[in-house]
Amino acid sequence: MALLRVTTALLLVCAARLGAQTGKASEAQVKAVFLFNFAQFVDWPADAVPDSQAPLVIGILGGDPFGDLLDATVRGEHRGARPFVVHRYQRLEDITRCDILFISRSVADQPDEVLTRLKNRPILTVSDADQFAERGGMIRFVTDRSRIRLQINQEAAEAAHLTISSKLLRVAEVVTPTGR
Amino acid sequence: MAGMRTVAAATWMVFTLGLMCLVRPGFAQQADSTGQRPDTSLSAEALKKLSIEQLMNLQVTSVSKRPERLSQTASAIQVITQEDIRRSGASSLAEALRLAANLQVAQIDSRQWAISARGFNGTTANKLLVLIDGRTVYTPLFSGVFWDVQEVPLQDIDRIEVISGPGATLWGANAVNGVINVITKDAKDTQGLLLSGGGGTEQHGFGTVRYGAPLGSNVRARIYGRGFDRDATALPGGQDAADDWHLEQGGFRMDWDASSASRVTLQGDLYDGRIAQDSGGDIGVSGGHVVAKWSRTLSERSSLAAHLYYDRTHRDIPGVFGEDLDTYDVDLQHSARLGARHDVVWGLGYRNINDRTVIGADSTVAFLPTQVAREWFTGFVQDEIALVPNRVHVTVGTKVEHNDYTGFEIQPSGRVSWRPGSSGTLWMAVSRALRTPSRIDRELFAPAKPPYFLAGGPDFHSEEELAYELGYRYQRGTLGLSVATFYSRYHGLRSVEQVNPPAPVPLVIANGQAGESYGAEVTAEYWLTNRWRVHAGYTELRVHVWPNPGSTDMSRGSGESQVPDRQFLLQSWVDLPAHLGLAAWFRAIDDINNQLVPAYAELNATLTWRPTSHLDLSLVGQNLLHGQHREFGASSSPTRRDIQRGVYGAVAWHF
Repeated sequence: MALLRVTTALLLVCAARLGAQTGKASEAQVKAVFLFNFAQFVDWPADAVPDSQAPLVIGILGGDPFGDLLDATVRGEHRGARPFVVHRYQRLEDITRCDILFISRSVADQPDEVLTRLKNRPILTVSDADQFAERGGMIRFVTDRSRIRLQINQEAAEAAHLTISSKLLRVAEVVTPTGR
Repeated sequence: MAGMRTVAAATWMVFTLGLMCLVRPGFAQQADSTGQRPDTSLSAEALKKLSIEQLMNLQVTSVSKRPERLSQTASAIQVITQEDIRRSGASSLAEALRLAANLQVAQIDSRQWAISARGFNGTTANKLLVLIDGRTVYTPLFSGVFWDVQEVPLQDIDRIEVISGPGATLWGANAVNGVINVITKDAKDTQGLLLSGGGGTEQHGFGTVRYGAPLGSNVRARIYGRGFDRDATALPGGQDAADDWHLEQGGFRMDWDASSASRVTLQGDLYDGRIAQDSGGDIGVSGGHVVAKWSRTLSERSSLAAHLYYDRTHRDIPGVFGEDLDTYDVDLQHSARLGARHDVVWGLGYRNINDRTVIGADSTVAFLPTQVAREWFTGFVQDEIALVPNRVHVTVGTKVEHNDYTGFEIQPSGRVSWRPGSSGTLWMAVSRALRTPSRIDRELFAPAKPPYFLAGGPDFHSEEELAYELGYRYQRGTLGLSVATFYSRYHGLRSVEQVNPPAPVPLVIANGQAGESYGAEVTAEYWLTNRWRVHAGYTELRVHVWPNPGSTDMSRGSGESQVPDRQFLLQSWVDLPAHLGLAAWFRAIDDINNQLVPAYAELNATLTWRPTSHLDLSLVGQNLLHGQHREFGASSSPTRRDIQRGVYGAVAWHF
């Protein structure tokens, strides 16, 4: 017991001297921050960016799971000189210019049509739908034991001439399409 | 019998489905307007400062559940993850529980396990509450668990939370010395087809078929069937103990994301098994249950959850007794943030059981009256107060319960947690917890017909515990540490008293003993590299029980608590090249001195090969160090069984 007390005291002293961010957050909030971060880890082909100050568009296709969380996350933020904006789309046809597209589960459950029509366009496609990356999407959020993992289909990104940073690839699970 | 069960289960399903249809329009409408904003103590600004790795390591929650990082939990909680289970090669839920160093787990024979926390273990251990997806699985016969029918398919388990120490305020009676919370995977995480099976020396054969598919855009479901055949244990001389058994089981789970703020889960299982006995004919066990859950985020600051289930279980132990039990349970829970500092959770619950025991011509015990219906009403409230937000939190709460034996009972607790830095939490707690009477305490008679030499105590009241705990948890990077120390006093522990001393019989059950327990539970987890994880646990435990003045029970607790003074656990796993994985799992358990069970050490090892992401092959060795060893049961007891070394191979194919 004496040893235990000493150990506890030592641990306490150590802990008191350390400091870092920890905490808790809602799944939607963390996903919103991921979407924002993706802009830092992806390079778009030059011809996809109209000019150096063009807004960086994060789009949401289908039902919006974020409420105003995504808007709050990107408010006032820039990538270089490009300000972030959030657009919401009900239909695929509504998408004009978009850099990162979050495809809501309701749409992405039948992803084949959506992904076929987006194929090779320089849009980073993201969803949390099942099998999203295997079926041709680029990044899938996987919630596993209350933590969010990433699955990345690098082939799909490369086909659209997007370059995903190795920093992101390193922490993600890289999947290959099933050929469906 | 089977027909009755199916009809009852079907009726219940129709009822709950009907209920869901009724409530759907209301909550679907509101959900879209409120959006999903559970309480968010980390702002977007704070999250944006985190690295991708830190974001991935952050614990998140979807709806209504209040998320907490393990390192901040103000109790002695340990979590067994799916990966822990998979890598361990455990073949049953009870065996997987050995992975929690804060539990005392001993295999008694092929189907029975003694499992407890902080002492008071036994074949009828009664101070641990076990929940499977929110369904209480204890038997009101003795407030313990028949582990042979808690065969949750291990690959469907998401995690097992093991809390040692009183959890009565939130969880209720029986959570005297611990709570085990088995949480199965969401249906969305078990989509596609899974075929798995294997066999070996002790695990003769086992197989599972599981299929998961969407049932519409927001509904995911799975269905499974499984069976196994397990070998008998051994008699001390090495002969076969003839207690081999088999069980068949099937079930389903459906999760419906009715909106971004509401979820509905419906699940159920049916099982049927036979366990051989060396005399008297096979033990038959069968049963099933249906669980419906609904949760909804009402606003950014509050959420509501409802939960109901029906459970039916049948057991026939020829020569001992038979039982049919129906349990109906409904719970409602509301959590709300009040002002800047208060997180309040409160709830109400109702449970009704109908227990019918059978006395056969050859029964050795009787529960009288043979049939009882009992009701429990519970209410609880708990407030977590942020005295210094994110630094010092105080939690106070109480459970109020009404039961048919002892009327109203109150189980309060208070906890303080202090986070001096971001990585560690120091916590302390004081709790009162009760083990309320069960049928065995008041209604047990032996032999089955008069004259009885043992009778239940008509005045048996609740056993009371006052527990004091102090602990520290630390998590930083690849290192996690936890230390929990405790001291508990017990009053009114169960005793067996002579009715007319000095005549040795008849005997009656009473509350004639008192006791104390103290000890420490230490665990450490460390990732040596990205591919190599080591987990170690050590528990030191003392239990002293003594008779109250006037008591004739001189057993000093040998009937109530059979535990080793210390135990050590070490688990290591490593991913090797060529898609191979190797895991080893060592345990050293001290002797159980009031049963003269010697100390032992055992080792399990698992070699896995995943040539593709669709196929898993594994070779598992269980209890490798000895041909056979004893874990529980007095050496003189005729029911003493030895556990044998086992080897099995398994294949799992996902597609």
